[in-house]
Amino acid sequence: MRVEIITPDESLFKGEAKSVSMPGIDGSLGILDNHAPLITALKAGDVHVRTGSGEEKTFTLKGGTAEVLHNRLLILAE
Amino acid sequence: MANLKEIRSRIVSVNSTKQITSAMKMVSAAKLHRAQSAITRMRPYAEKMQEILRNLSDSLDVSENVYGVQREAERVLIIAINSNRGLCGAFNNNVNRKVRELIDRHKGAKVKVLGVGKKAYDTFKKTDELAGAGYPELPYEIFNDLNFENASEIAESVMDKFAEKRLDKVYLVYNSFKNAAVQHTTVENFLPVEPPKSDEENGDNSGQTEFIFEPNKEEIVEALVPKTLKIQFYKALLDSNAAEHGARMTSMHQATDNATELVKELNLVYNKARQASITNEILEIVSGAEALNG
Repeated sequence: MRVEIITPDESLFKGEAKSVSMPGIDGSLGILDNHAPLITALKAGDVHVRTGSGEEKTFTLKGGTAEVLHNRLLILAE
Repeated sequence: MANLKEIRSRIVSVNSTKQITSAMKMVSAAKLHRAQSAITRMRPYAEKMQEILRNLSDSLDVSENVYGVQREAERVLIIAINSNRGLCGAFNNNVNRKVRELIDRHKGAKVKVLGVGKKAYDTFKKTDELAGAGYPELPYEIFNDLNFENASEIAESVMDKFAEKRLDKVYLVYNSFKNAAVQHTTVENFLPVEPPKSDEENGDNSGQTEFIFEPNKEEIVEALVPKTLKIQFYKALLDSNAAEHGARMTSMHQATDNATELVKELNLVYNKARQASITNEILEIVSGAEALNG
């Protein structure tokens, strides 16, 4: 799936990923390929992005909102 | 006619002014470029956020939010966004004139002005309308380091006051960036939040998708509304910043042109004066020789 993490000041990540885990308000959320459409609020914490090559990238957020639509994950981070 | 030395020193001074204005123009052009790319970077963020909010508000009333309550406008705050420096034409005056109009429109209410940018602060410091206590101190330092975090600090302080019912209505007055030469003085309602306008085309697309909301719609709206407010405020700041550099670039360009024109005129005057003085000298010599011969 395509993953994009943006903040108002810059784009943190843009690319393909196998799985993403992120800090939902009620606990950690894992997103895999072809997830159903979802809108969720995020709390402060780390987002882990596992790319196709097995590499893992970590981004620390202060909160945000995430949307999954058409196999595309968009994280509006703060 | 002014004497030669006077004209020469004027030419020198106009030339050095011209150098300064053209340097300032270059600096503004570079800063404008940076300010513009900041706007482009944040635009997708703002658009996406609006879209998500629109998806949510189809079935949820935003006006139930703490930031959406409509109240009688008794205590009004006007956030005037100016620049920190002058030399940018009517840039700041346009905003401050609009602020005056707004103040006059709210005759019966208690109106305060929060000056963002040194010029707004200085303008309203002399009146009793300047909002002082309880707001971030010296809000004009924001332009020294313009980022989302600094912007949200100011936005939050205003939003808190609205939530505590110490403000009923908040306006945002700023210059929005059209292109390098054109700025639009814009008055926006900041608080209470207006429900997002549902775009017909977008509405059709998003209406078909059934979203899962995690944890639930209400909480997401709760979290999203303050964020959109901060984004709106940040966008106004970025817009104004870009517009400021655009305005300064144009006015410095004009100043440089004027200086060039002036130097041309002064050179003409100088050459005429020089010729006149040479003619005079020749005349004196010739008439002196004539007198000796005679």
